[in-house]
Amino acid sequence: MPNYRVKKTDYVDQTNRISFKFDGKTYFGFKGDTLASALLSNGIHLVGRSFKYHRPRGIMTCGSEEPNAICQINPGTDLTEPNVRATEIELYEGLEASSQNCWPNVNFDIGGINNFISPFIPAGFYYKTFMWPKSFWKNIYEPLIRKSAGLGKSPTLPDPDLYDHKHIHCDILVIGGGISGIIAAKIAAKSGSNTILIDDKNTLGGSTIFQNNENFKINDEISKDWLFKEIEELKKLKNLTIKTRTSVAAYHSYNYLLAKENLTDHLSKNNKTSNIRQRLWKIRSNKVIIASGAIERPLVFNNNDRPGIILASSVNKYLNFYGVICGENNFVFTNNDSAYETALSLFEKGIQIKIIDIRKKTNSKIVKRVEKLGIDIYWNSTVTNTFGYRKLNSIEIMNLSEDGSNVIGKKIKAKCDCLAVSGGWTPMVHMHTQSGGKLNFRESDQVFLPKELDSEHISVGSCNGDFELDDIIKNTNEKVKSLLNLKETEFEKTYVSCTKELDKRNIWLLPNKITLGKTKSFIDFQNDSTAKDIKLALREGFRSIEHVKRYTTTGMATDQGKLSNMHALGIISETAGVKMGTLGTTTFRPPFTPLTFGAIVGRNVGQFFDITRRTSIHEWHIKNNAKFENVGQWKRPWYYPKENENMHQAVQRESKAARDSAGILDASTLGKIDIQGSDASEFLNRVYTNAWSKLAIGKCRYGLMLNEDGMVYDDGVTTRLGDNHFLMTTTTGGAANVLSKLEDYLQTEWPELDVFLTSVTDQYSTVSICGPNSKKILIKLFPSVNFNDDDFTHMSFKNSTINNINCRIMRISFTGELSYEINIEAKYGKSLWEKCIEAGKDFNITPYGTETMHLLRAEKGFIIVGQDTDGTMTPIDLQMDWIVSKKKYDFIGKRSLYRSDTIREDRKQLVGLLTEDPKEILEEGAQIVSNISKKPVEMLGHVTSSYFSPNLNKSIALAVVRNGKKMKGQKLLVPMENKNINVIVSDSIFLDKENKRLNA
Amino acid sequence: MLNINFPKIDKKTFNDLELSLAEEKIKINIRGKNKDFFTKVGKITSIILPTEANTSSSNEKFNALWLSPDEWIIYFDGKDTNKVINNLFNEISKLNFGAITDISDHWVCINIKGRKTFDLLSSSSPFNFNSFKKSKNNVAQTVLNHTDVIIHHKEVDDVNLFVRRSFAEDLWLWINDSARFL
Repeated sequence: MPNYRVKKTDYVDQTNRISFKFDGKTYFGFKGDTLASALLSNGIHLVGRSFKYHRPRGIMTCGSEEPNAICQINPGTDLTEPNVRATEIELYEGLEASSQNCWPNVNFDIGGINNFISPFIPAGFYYKTFMWPKSFWKNIYEPLIRKSAGLGKSPTLPDPDLYDHKHIHCDILVIGGGISGIIAAKIAAKSGSNTILIDDKNTLGGSTIFQNNENFKINDEISKDWLFKEIEELKKLKNLTIKTRTSVAAYHSYNYLLAKENLTDHLSKNNKTSNIRQRLWKIRSNKVIIASGAIERPLVFNNNDRPGIILASSVNKYLNFYGVICGENNFVFTNNDSAYETALSLFEKGIQIKIIDIRKKTNSKIVKRVEKLGIDIYWNSTVTNTFGYRKLNSIEIMNLSEDGSNVIGKKIKAKCDCLAVSGGWTPMVHMHTQSGGKLNFRESDQVFLPKELDSEHISVGSCNGDFELDDIIKNTNEKVKSLLNLKETEFEKTYVSCTKELDKRNIWLLPNKITLGKTKSFIDFQNDSTAKDIKLALREGFRSIEHVKRYTTTGMATDQGKLSNMHALGIISETAGVKMGTLGTTTFRPPFTPLTFGAIVGRNVGQFFDITRRTSIHEWHIKNNAKFENVGQWKRPWYYPKENENMHQAVQRESKAARDSAGILDASTLGKIDIQGSDASEFLNRVYTNAWSKLAIGKCRYGLMLNEDGMVYDDGVTTRLGDNHFLMTTTTGGAANVLSKLEDYLQTEWPELDVFLTSVTDQYSTVSICGPNSKKILIKLFPSVNFNDDDFTHMSFKNSTINNINCRIMRISFTGELSYEINIEAKYGKSLWEKCIEAGKDFNITPYGTETMHLLRAEKGFIIVGQDTDGTMTPIDLQMDWIVSKKKYDFIGKRSLYRSDTIREDRKQLVGLLTEDPKEILEEGAQIVSNISKKPVEMLGHVTSSYFSPNLNKSIALAVVRNGKKMKGQKLLVPMENKNINVIVSDSIFLDKENKRLNA
Repeated sequence: MLNINFPKIDKKTFNDLELSLAEEKIKINIRGKNKDFFTKVGKITSIILPTEANTSSSNEKFNALWLSPDEWIIYFDGKDTNKVINNLFNEISKLNFGAITDISDHWVCINIKGRKTFDLLSSSSPFNFNSFKKSKNNVAQTVLNHTDVIIHHKEVDDVNLFVRRSFAEDLWLWINDSARFL
């Protein structure tokens, strides 16, 4: 095998040999190699198959724009990852990679048959083909499409790697460590700004760091030597943080950016363990300098996708950075001067090189140098075809006509195993547009450039359309100076000597003798979109680039069209006769390069998936076998199964005990708001629907809070602790929102009110004891308190102490039973609970969870906001007219209660439902209908709460039903999957309508 | 006798980082706007409430943290809440000069100190600690791992972090886990 490693460089340590496997075969590379450079050094070009036609594909670039060389890393393990660019992964000992989208192997792929039937499967064929027959869709088309879809294999095992997030703030963020980024970072840091420089490679310097060419000198030094010294100086600056192996994924508004840092991907397997693999940096920067560079464009001609056809600048980098040649018989095929650098580099290494240039002639310095060296140049010529199935072996060249629209003359066939193509450069404006920036179009070289309007970010270097070395240095210096308000910098007098491009010629789709329909001129290499597809889309009436993109899938692959978008635009422009600048671009959405799910979620996995809140009694609940329910972020005891009880059995036991003797509930999670101020009662009048002014000190009152639209928002009991002092309770899930809403009203709508709110939800633990024996238990706990019904009435409270610790006892009930709630400082909560359990032993006190609480309140017809309401229920809909004051001047939502829609009598209203079969339990959420045979079936409402009540020995349910108030006694149907359940509309209070138990 | 139970937060030491529960502390939420309010607070606590946003003032006993233009937290070491709170409540709340609320159990105080204190906080707080960490007596109200916290920069590389009691154990576990990676 020929040796493709021809040169020693500063960036690959050829003393450090590394073994790796590709498609099961062991190869060797060196430290500093990427998987791509290592493969090329071993003569491997064929690395995968294309998505649609399964055509053989090889390494085409050396960066993140790579469309072909995407591999499955560590196949078959829990560390496997699909779609990793071979051009971006650094080689490490033990790396295993395999090619994707081929079976049985990359050399012989059954899917390759698609290439032969390609005339039958043009762009959009599936939109038309899979329309009929209808019966084929589920069993044939869908499984087939699903099987064909996607590239690579997703991991099926949990990811063992660790990921992390971190926030960082800076004055200046510089994106890109090429020459313009280096200059910008140096100016910024030296001006005293706290600066961060980010680059996705492991080495700074971009393409200039290996630009070893006499034609490019800075201050009389070869450009790479000058830049090397600059980087060394840069590293010494104290207020500069350099982050290599870090790529910016997203640029959001207000200079908020996300960048992914690879921390262990380049390490050998042994060194990776227990370290964080990737960290997502969340960066907030005052100002941002984008120096993300430009991407070289390919050229579009027949069979331009064969392995061995590589971007010219990449061939140059593989040679000068990695020391690897991509072929022995090289041709450069170009429309611009930059590719001549590649030709010179290859020539200087003694590698055979010829040039095909679509321009008629040019006399720039570098071209003259090439001509002087005797390198053959085919002027005004194009490649019309390429040959070689798994690897390029020859090309066909023809002359271009005067206007470039056709080919003329004889075909020349030449031996060629590496065709270095260059169609000019596309500035990487992705970051600029992600930040909200607009673009201008420069006609002379047909590029979109950042249109800078604000002073918070700028683009410099080639991403700003500066492609010549002298322009890059001069303009970067000027723009950074202006951004930072500096008078001068050290780069003012930098002297640059470089070649200048004099002539340009661009042809988006190169002509051919063969008709376009019979060619394969690829635009999007990853998604197999061709020039023919674009023209088809136009013929079918698509004009907008966004529509053409979706019809042809151009730019929709994992590379997001980094190489293809401009050609698609160019061909649309030429075909439709529209100026390219007016077409605009597709939207550049984040992420710029794919992010792993691990990097996105960071450490919020496993036990840290979501945050949880615990009451001070939580430990007791765990010890007593509680099953928990998530309510908001709280972990609330759901039920306490004994021995082999299931949930139903536990809930039946708990609710029976609460009704027959005593039950105990941890109610600490209810929101609590301390309200103070001379206008506190007026404030409550405005917040709740009922009246509060006359509530006596020591009394409690239930209140319903509405939204501005008159719909029920929250509810709870508020207690008057003093003249101007109240304690409001809210629902568990609504606590934070209620406090925010009330504070918002105080600050914006009612600033005249003297009211102060303080959240005390976590300050108090609340123990609720209910049942006919609850009073006896309370007497045992608080012997000095008079629990006589006349003295301690329902909806009142008393201050007391237990073991000299202050607490409040409230006689309020959410179960319909005689019930007390004890509020105590949270640190004593668990101890108080245990005392209550101890005191209640003689009465079989039974802890119950939220499920039993729901059942008990449903028996009594008490609503739960959020379960029996859904943001569309007024108090009148809930049959709670009694709580809406007719006398009050105003309260939140009052006006809306009198809108024509809210006073309609046929609105959905809360009712009770009883099943004909008392053992039948309805499903919550089930629809309610009156006539199932009349199509379409009219939905009258749905079941909101449903339980089997052991106390009533029958099934009960609450439901919202259209015009429900007037339907009492009517029979309705609840259709289920296998049967229809007959129900009767009833009163929503099923138990103790007279409140005898409550006042017992 | 009722036992006291704080969230399970053990003292932990990592490289350049020390974490511990800083309880018992009395914490009082005070709200008010008028001149009498400031005078009363000054008289009872001998402290001038900070009026500059996100700052604090301290004397030998009390620390007062700015929360909003009319809201502060006063915190201090101790167990007997009654004396100071009753004093403030009777002189301010009862006379309608403002609002005094005992929140000693609402917030739990965790002390974090060491050179890597702010590295730890930056792991999951979007707050910009660059200038905050340079001078003491700064206060930040932010989120840490999606949890609301108040951070008091007491001394250089020494902060008191206040978190609602119900979130405390969960946040503590996360802090411990984060400290491993610093």
